[in-house]
Amino acid sequence: MAQDSGTRTLISHAQLRRGRGRIIYWTLLTVVVVGFTLVFLGPLYWMVTGALKSGQEIAQTPPSLFPKDPQPQNYIDAWNNLDLAKLLFNTFYYAVGAVVFQLVFDTAAAYSLSKLRPVFGNVILGLMLATLMIPAMVLIVPQYVTVIDLPILHINLLDSPFAIWLPLVANAFNIFLLKRFFDSIPEELMAAALMDGATPLRTLWSIILPISRPILGVVSIFAVTAVWKDFLWPKLVMPSPETRTVSVGIYAFAGGTPMNVVIAASVIAAIPTVVVFLVFQRNIMSGLTTGSLKG
Amino acid sequence: MSVPQYRKAAALALVAGLGFSLTACSTKSGDKDTTAGGKVTITVDCQPVGAQKELLKNWNDDVAEFQRLNPDIVVKSVSVGEQCNNPPDFTARLAGGTVTDVFYGYMTDVQQVLDSGQAMDITQYANKDNIPTWDSVDPALKEVFTDGGKLYAVPVKNYSMGLVYNKVLFQQAGLDVNNPPKTWADVRAAAKKISALGNGIAGYSEYSAGNTGGWHFTSLLYSQGGRVLTEDGKKADFNNAMGKQVLQNIKDMRYGDNSMGSRQLLQWGDLLTNAGAGKVGMFIGAPDATQAIVSQFQGKFQDWAMSPLPGQDGPAKGTLGGGEGYFFKKDLTPEQVKAGMKWIAYQKLTPGKGQFDYVRAKPQNYPVGLPQPLLFANGSEAQKQELELRKANANVDTANFALFEATPVPIKGEPRNAQAIYAVLDAAMSGVLTNPNANIDALLKTAEEKVNQLLAAES
Amino acid sequence: MAITTVPQIPRKAGRPPSPYSAGPQRTSLGRKVRDNLTGHAFLIGAVLCFVVFSWYPMVRGIVMSFQRTRRGETTWVGWDNYTRLIADPSFWPAWKNTFYFTVLALVLGYAVPFFVAILLNEFRHAKGYLRILVYLPVMLPPASALFLFKFYAYDPSEAGLFNAILKALHLPTSQWMQSPGMTMPAMVIASTWMNMGGAVLIYLASLQNIPGELYEAAELDGAGVWRRIRHVTIPQTRLILALLAMLQIVATMQLFIEPLILANGAGAEDSATSVAYLIYQHGFFQNDLNGAAALGVIMLVVLAGFSAVYVRLTAKQD
Repeated sequence: MAQDSGTRTLISHAQLRRGRGRIIYWTLLTVVVVGFTLVFLGPLYWMVTGALKSGQEIAQTPPSLFPKDPQPQNYIDAWNNLDLAKLLFNTFYYAVGAVVFQLVFDTAAAYSLSKLRPVFGNVILGLMLATLMIPAMVLIVPQYVTVIDLPILHINLLDSPFAIWLPLVANAFNIFLLKRFFDSIPEELMAAALMDGATPLRTLWSIILPISRPILGVVSIFAVTAVWKDFLWPKLVMPSPETRTVSVGIYAFAGGTPMNVVIAASVIAAIPTVVVFLVFQRNIMSGLTTGSLKG
Repeated sequence: MSVPQYRKAAALALVAGLGFSLTACSTKSGDKDTTAGGKVTITVDCQPVGAQKELLKNWNDDVAEFQRLNPDIVVKSVSVGEQCNNPPDFTARLAGGTVTDVFYGYMTDVQQVLDSGQAMDITQYANKDNIPTWDSVDPALKEVFTDGGKLYAVPVKNYSMGLVYNKVLFQQAGLDVNNPPKTWADVRAAAKKISALGNGIAGYSEYSAGNTGGWHFTSLLYSQGGRVLTEDGKKADFNNAMGKQVLQNIKDMRYGDNSMGSRQLLQWGDLLTNAGAGKVGMFIGAPDATQAIVSQFQGKFQDWAMSPLPGQDGPAKGTLGGGEGYFFKKDLTPEQVKAGMKWIAYQKLTPGKGQFDYVRAKPQNYPVGLPQPLLFANGSEAQKQELELRKANANVDTANFALFEATPVPIKGEPRNAQAIYAVLDAAMSGVLTNPNANIDALLKTAEEKVNQLLAAES
Repeated sequence: MAITTVPQIPRKAGRPPSPYSAGPQRTSLGRKVRDNLTGHAFLIGAVLCFVVFSWYPMVRGIVMSFQRTRRGETTWVGWDNYTRLIADPSFWPAWKNTFYFTVLALVLGYAVPFFVAILLNEFRHAKGYLRILVYLPVMLPPASALFLFKFYAYDPSEAGLFNAILKALHLPTSQWMQSPGMTMPAMVIASTWMNMGGAVLIYLASLQNIPGELYEAAELDGAGVWRRIRHVTIPQTRLILALLAMLQIVATMQLFIEPLILANGAGAEDSATSVAYLIYQHGFFQNDLNGAAALGVIMLVVLAGFSAVYVRLTAKQD
């Protein structure tokens, strides 16, 4: 964030400091700050306070800016009736698992494709990259029938977290990113390790992984986001109330719950990620930027 | 994470991961103990959810009592959500083979259940030995769950639709609660008065999304004496004066009188949520809609009453009926099937027990005295017992439902291919409910063409 | 975001051979086999997941689209599923809506983040704050964000937020999701609001990569702000713009949760039905997994067509 002060962008610093440029700059900045606050923070304010309103107050015209008679009970009802603790835990559990599985398998695969380069490696990479062109919706039905009866093994993965974790491993984009990054690591480092008699695993461990932290961070963020944002897949493969994710759980209850309570549940569900984001935002943002730039 | 910690984590992950490929998947298999220690275990779904506190307690008490009476049977209850049969989830469980041993389904699901190959033929088990009241169960209901002479499910509920109305709002609007609307013109007049109360109250409310619009259109059409499909089931049969009347009635209320509220595109829970919040004067539904309003949508059962479905210029010429039953998963052992039958017999088909335990239900926030579930044949012994118990323990004014019971309206079932047709009819319903300039003739014509196309492609 | 890697990596011409796989000639055959086995051992986990959850389902989807399963028995039915799907009255509206959404989303959800990023990149103050603001909605569970719009913003009465604002400004109010003409724009607004944060960050990262000298030189040539954007900013970020356009098209073609939540599925007179929603309807409402698979294959073909056009267009520009 701070590192870009000083670099030349579209409009020069000098121009912004001059009389007219300065006025325009400050006007624009004010407009944008106020506008963005309204557009992006406004709805969230509406959400938090709206969930405090009574059913009558919500239906009132024009809508009130502050809840006249705050009903914290809505939040308590949301927490209890939707079993939010369970939903949040499930989502967290799936996200952590997704990160672990993707880091382990995708890193190992990318390392093999980049450094070990076994025969048919390029064919495999090509087949993997081809899946980038296949949108998830196209595969949803056959993937679903596969998950409910795994070929050969005849295991049913419904309601099992593996139904979320394993398909996420088949992520060509992450493998591609990791491979690109590994490609940029000089072969001399590998050769030196080989001279010392290090096994491939040991090399991956003590040489490759330590310098790959930015890209591993990026992949982890992607993994968490994928679990957090996905809706239809967890809805299909986690049909039981006990195994639902937050998004699916809120949707499932929305049909039978007063809307204030649904919104209250949404607020509660958003708190953990927003807090995590605000606390780590510097790391996340710089990780995303440097991770992608260095790649 | 510091570097050493990070490496440790990565090491763990790698070790855990590489050993995964074969072992990880096997966590879920083989958790089915059918006969542990000489006991027969069955899993049963449709256990009430946690939010339905009293219903859940009743269910659990029933399980405990049943297991005490049948020490060799273990009943494992599974809750599948607040709506026991939410079509996408139900389909998913069927296709995935994750239905419970004894599983809940609608009458309209028979075809789908048979298609999935998940249900077993239970003809030979359905008898007085396993279900003492079996001979009293209405044969028409058994027939619904029969295909090719084979029985696939035990009926546990049966209903028909009528007009559900909020007595409190009726009184506030100066309407007579004991003289509910009998024709659609009456409904319109009453809706106008109720919506005049303001405060976002809809006099009459109607569905138009998630296939529920088509479902209600069908019922409204039956009230006019119409039918959705021709006798042979090959053509749509609603693009006529009766179908037009259905949509015209709704359009008049929605845009002529503005008595249906502004929020449309409602589906099942949306309307009941509004009803629970006291924002709906009337809607059409089955008697159990009032139960849902109470148990899930925070309403009070004392507020609600029900009358027969109105007709255009007199009593309705027909109404939509439906019901529920329990299927048995294929490949159960005979002992499991018998155990399942006994459980259903105890919880669903014994006057004085389970769903008929009116003594228990009376003090609870749960209506007793509703004209349902209409499981037993007219004049049968079980029906007499059930009626007596119901009358003795009623906590709602049975007068509220007297009209509904006293005026039997011919019951018709749902059309073939119901869900796909309902999806088409949703568009007609949403048309008149969201577009002030909706052209009813065009809407019906489009819907007719669509349904015909659909039937042609299906056959 | 890490997509920025794509344009920046030089092609791997003349890379030295891997010290593991292609060692000096004297390596024995046994050694070679062992190295290859090691290489594949590292690959096996990911490859298995690809086989089971990606490659096999792809083939199976195509196979399923030519079959019908009834009463546990599967038969070959030729093109029946396709003809049935095309006869589905919602088929053409679904495609029309999906394309409409895709185009609207390109105009709004694609151009807006780009200009927001350019703007943010120019600011010397409040930059971190603005970045966090834009990214905040991405943190909400998608269902939550959409319920927020459904219940508060798009309420058709004047108790709704948008209608209250419109009324205060003396503008005509709207029925939002209940008005067929507004359904798609309303969905695009909600979708852009909740998703644009990611795109803004990607653009910001690539904007920071543009060498300042280029702007300097353009300015010396007398180029104004707009010409600098046209001749420096856009060409310099062209690859990332093109890539994001493709990703966005693929993503918007899969439009599902917006109609499901905002419009309860089909919306007013089928105005919200999307292709993805139709897949879901067939597969999980109408007990027609085979039909749903056929629709999936049709979608794949359409997207493959898009990709071909895309590849041709981007190749020409190079």
